[in-house]
Amino acid sequence: MPRSAVVGAPSPRTRVRAMLVALAALWLALALLSGGLFLSPRNLVNLAVQASAVAVMACGMVLVITARQIDLSVGSVLGFTGMVIAALQAEDGLLAAPLPWPVALLAGLALATAIGAWHGAWVAYARLPSFVATLAGLLIFRGAAWLVSDGRTLAPLAEDYVRIGGGPSGTIAGVPLPVLVLVATALGVHVLATRTRFGRHVFAIGGSPRAAELAGIDVRGVTLRAFALSGALAGVAAVLTTARLGAGTNSMGMQAELAVIAAAVLGGTSLAGGSGSVAGAVLGALWMQSLENGMVLLDVTSALRQVIIGLVLLAAVAADARARKSAT
Amino acid sequence: MSAPALELAGVTVRFGGVTAVDSVDLSIGAGEVVALVGHNGAGKTTLVELLSGALARDAGEIHVNGRAAALRSPRDAQLAGLATLHQHLALADNLDVVANVFLGHELRARSGLLDERAMEDEARALLERLAPGFAALREPVSQLSGGQRQLVAIARALRLHAKVLLLDEPTAALGPGERGRVVELVARLAAEQLAILLVSHDLETALAVAHRVAVMRRGRLVAVRSREELDAASLSALIVG
Amino acid sequence: MCWSPSPTRARALLAALLAAIALPSSPAAARDESIVVGVSWSHFQEERWKIDEASLVAALKESGARYLSADAQSSAEKQLADIENLVTRGADALVLVAHDPDTLGPALASARAARIPVIAYDRLIDAPGVFYLSFDNRRVGRIQAEAILAAAPRGRFAFIKGSPQDPNTEFVHAGQLDVLRPAIADGRVQVVGDQYVDGWLPEVAQRVMEQILTRSGGRVDAVVCSNDGMAGGVAAALGAAGLSGVPVSGQDGDRAALNRIALGRQTVTVWKDSRQLGRAAAEVSLALARGTRPDQIAGATPYTTPTGKRVPALLLEPLAITRANLGRVIEAGWAPRASVCRGVEPGPEAPAACRDPQ
Repeated sequence: MPRSAVVGAPSPRTRVRAMLVALAALWLALALLSGGLFLSPRNLVNLAVQASAVAVMACGMVLVITARQIDLSVGSVLGFTGMVIAALQAEDGLLAAPLPWPVALLAGLALATAIGAWHGAWVAYARLPSFVATLAGLLIFRGAAWLVSDGRTLAPLAEDYVRIGGGPSGTIAGVPLPVLVLVATALGVHVLATRTRFGRHVFAIGGSPRAAELAGIDVRGVTLRAFALSGALAGVAAVLTTARLGAGTNSMGMQAELAVIAAAVLGGTSLAGGSGSVAGAVLGALWMQSLENGMVLLDVTSALRQVIIGLVLLAAVAADARARKSAT
Repeated sequence: MSAPALELAGVTVRFGGVTAVDSVDLSIGAGEVVALVGHNGAGKTTLVELLSGALARDAGEIHVNGRAAALRSPRDAQLAGLATLHQHLALADNLDVVANVFLGHELRARSGLLDERAMEDEARALLERLAPGFAALREPVSQLSGGQRQLVAIARALRLHAKVLLLDEPTAALGPGERGRVVELVARLAAEQLAILLVSHDLETALAVAHRVAVMRRGRLVAVRSREELDAASLSALIVG
Repeated sequence: MCWSPSPTRARALLAALLAAIALPSSPAAARDESIVVGVSWSHFQEERWKIDEASLVAALKESGARYLSADAQSSAEKQLADIENLVTRGADALVLVAHDPDTLGPALASARAARIPVIAYDRLIDAPGVFYLSFDNRRVGRIQAEAILAAAPRGRFAFIKGSPQDPNTEFVHAGQLDVLRPAIADGRVQVVGDQYVDGWLPEVAQRVMEQILTRSGGRVDAVVCSNDGMAGGVAAALGAAGLSGVPVSGQDGDRAALNRIALGRQTVTVWKDSRQLGRAAAEVSLALARGTRPDQIAGATPYTTPTGKRVPALLLEPLAITRANLGRVIEAGWAPRASVCRGVEPGPEAPAACRDPQ
């Protein structure tokens, strides 16, 4: 495999190695505390499925943050798109004649991509700071999610659709479908980021927007596409979430953007731009979900869980900042 | 007689109520080196930004090898055959040498993915030509010396089959040893029939390498003299006015 | 073209504004036409709130009173601002669905100072003089536990409770324990999981349920779940673990839950006909705004709060809805038969309400 042309400090490869060590350490600790239960096959499978929606979105967030932007809207886009997909296929939904679920699914993905592109246009062409544009999106689409069905939960969904969410009939060769979707997404985005022109341009823009501009890179077009991808992946996460829940509820994905950004940052993507790792982000999502999953297993209360996750995140990012400083 | 490599006629740039470049006429032939000198604020940088596609002009015509050039964007300028070496080199510090040489014009294999091997080979060849022994291909450019960074930038410019090379303060960030290298390099590039416009505060280097020297003062081109007609003293006098 | 303010234009605008405010002044405060009822909603996340609102608004309209509202979107800070706003806009009575009752002190003080009667809707506000209007939430918990115990008299039980900030969570859970405590004490029921779920979020309930299943080796005999939204997440987790049909309880009577009951994936929901509650809120707020004493409102009884205060209250009776009486919600027009019976094969095995083909 060609050596990486991106050389942020510490390198993406070092970062992934560090995340694997951190994951192993956490798993060991949780396994000991839970008498081995944490590492039971059932729990690990659950863990992978529980982490899949956030991990999928984290792949897209890596590119956005690497381009020196941020996307705060992903949780709301997940909620809105999920509601639309449910509303189009549920008999009690929006349409008198509901659509077959594959059509609803594709429509939802197209919608999510369009929303991402819309945010991208505000940032790239209207030159709005991405924090503001996507914060607006967060509010708009959370409200819109509710408006789809006036707050009503939309269920049931088609049986074959629900398979995509995992469960006993939702596996291929024993691997739950959400995990397969995650792996395919992560591989795809990784190749996009490291082996295509688009990905190279994302890193260039993040490292030095002026250099990228002067080198003839279409900074605005690349930025828009990064947001479109982030939107598309929120759509994929919406499919995974609604299928898993077997319903469209208007609160889906609420505050997911925080977990997604945390996963990307934990995984080595620098908020300063120009440096990021898809594998790291997936491991970051897995790491955070492991913490949450393990703590519920150990019967830790929800308030305490939140405190612990917050503190751990702080410690991880601080350690990362120190590592960067000493490496340069 | 063939058209000059670069021809500016009546080029004017205004912003904020100030006329930064005022009706400049200049032509540079292939293989010719013209140094552009003048105080800060004389309009040199603005002219370079215009020619690199980063700024729009308010009036005037620009021709490269006889063809009109609109220069609406950096890519436009590159396509027209104008390559610019910016003062701060416009390198992406988070990428390595090869990535920077190909920045914005990466090579793709038939699969559509980046062809790293081809880019590496071509970058190696280019850099060898410019500076035999240049080995640091996969180093991050942030770790290179000023002179080495400049070579990377020049390699990128050459790759784009430029007809005209604009150098904006090429010796500003260099030590005396490396300055000599720039002079050699410029001479070599001129010998390859590139037209070179060199903007510089460094009068010594300018006089060493240029065939002609153009002086700007307050946006206007006030004098163009050939090297034989000038020395450091008379040049300074022209700059101050 | 820009509209630029000029002194003459500004004066004209000011005059118009003053005229608009001054004109529709009506001296008769006794007629309902001029009563303004302000409602501060906590959020509209669960589908029932829209139904509460529709009913409340309809009842107010009937007597010609005006309706003002604000949605705090699950934020305590916003709710404070919303309430201040309603007072400023001239509310004669306030109906509050408290997001976090302990944080409402300042708002209540403002209302008291302005002599505006306050009604705590659905969620208790533990403060003197605040009228408590709700379904008997402890009864809700009792109903849930009774139905679960009837379906699973012994075994390993999990408690999936609601949001820790919501006082109803504790009332419901207290009711559940009222019924289950003896069984837990003598070992008939073992508690294998007991968790709050922030924001009553279904996705979180699903994950929590999965963890409890892992902890207990997949052996859970019943889930005492506090509302229907979360029951959806619980049912999904149980279904994925092959445990569909394990008794699960809920609350609110939402359509997806009613359907699950028809399909056998949920045992009971507690129907609080929020149309009744909304209507009662309209009637009580109008009565209080007209000056009626709280203890003279029809059906009002004194209620002792957890901190020992006595407040006037009107508590409506909730109803257990199980497979056997699904017809009740259909006949009352609460949910259409098509939604409730979706996916149920008509025939003798089906619940009574879905037995005949449509």
